Amino acid sequence: MDRNALLNQMLYRMEEVFWHELSDCASWKTEYVGIDFIQAQGIEGTNENEVIKSCIDRIKATGLVQDIEHSIGGNDILLKLKVRGCQLMLKETMLRKSGIKPYSCPVANMIRDQLIERLGYETTYLADMAPDEKTGCCALKVAIYATPEKIGAVSDWSKE
Amino acid sequence: MQDILEVMTSRKSIRRYKPDPVPDEMLDKILEAARWAPTGENYQPWRFIVVRDQATRDKIGDLARVGSGSRMTAWYCLGHMQERFAGIQDKEKRDKVLRFMYSGEVSEFARQSPVVIAVIGTLMEGSVDVPYDLSAAIENMLLMAHAQGLGGCWVHGPVATTRDAKKFKEILGIPTGMGEYKVIAYVSIGWAAEARKYPRPKKNLEELVYWEQFGQTERPRHG
Repeated sequence: MDRNALLNQMLYRMEEVFWHELSDCASWKTEYVGIDFIQAQGIEGTNENEVIKSCIDRIKATGLVQDIEHSIGGNDILLKLKVRGCQLMLKETMLRKSGIKPYSCPVANMIRDQLIERLGYETTYLADMAPDEKTGCCALKVAIYATPEKIGAVSDWSKE
Repeated sequence: MQDILEVMTSRKSIRRYKPDPVPDEMLDKILEAARWAPTGENYQPWRFIVVRDQATRDKIGDLARVGSGSRMTAWYCLGHMQERFAGIQDKEKRDKVLRFMYSGEVSEFARQSPVVIAVIGTLMEGSVDVPYDLSAAIENMLLMAHAQGLGGCWVHGPVATTRDAKKFKEILGIPTGMGEYKVIAYVSIGWAAEARKYPRPKKNLEELVYWEQFGQTERPRHG
């Protein structure tokens, strides 16, 4: 067995039991997973795109993912991420096979953390996570709120 | 003394409060009820922080509004909220309810309730049932509040995420280490400024109870 598979299996069991304890609330509790790494990287940037791009460069350099595309829309509160070649895909596949919708993404957590720490964002929320083991791509929807006034800035994300 | 089932079935979550203060003796009874909740191995991990200060309650209310609003805004944008409230036929009323939810107003009433009680539990070595013990204490508090004619609400919103729970601890001076205290919720207490219908719609027992084995809905004869 390769080392990455072993790590994925261990993470899967941890997330499985955590979800069993907290159900959909589990995602809300895991937002710190991954932030230790990104906080040590000296991320720089004066706006969203610069900070996100800086995070992506550092994350790719670790080999955790092959590539990440990003875009911001939906009244500036929808951050879409498309992650390719993620080393955690096995964990997500195992969760889905056990009947649990994947709910925790360290890549999204790192970017969310730096929007808050570097740009003073009010809060963020991982709204949707759709890993596809066939294509090796994971589509993420993250709600990002620069200020409290952005709460309630609704739109139809299916059109984004 | 009211029949205990009558107290339970007539209790509602109250989110609108009059500004009238809650007398200390009524508050003491609520805290006393919490103290007598069931607790694993009589561990009694609960600690209660009673907050009347307006500025502190404002901070908690703001945190709750942003917490609930950030999630519900996203759920609305994904279409989940519209599905959840599709049962409200009147479009104007439905839109108003949805705005109340995704704006976060649904959770910010700590500003108005005269008393907020933060319910936290010590996570010292040996503790095993902390969230369950704290939940039992909260139920006792809500029932005692209601039995005295007060309104109350159990609010998880401001501590639902790890980052928000840390902010909540900072507001109240609770040690922020993850291995020290768990914040499970706050309970708002005050005089109700709303009259909610009751009993609330509930599932029938037939939908909830199985006999002897999971899935067995037919009640066996005995005796």
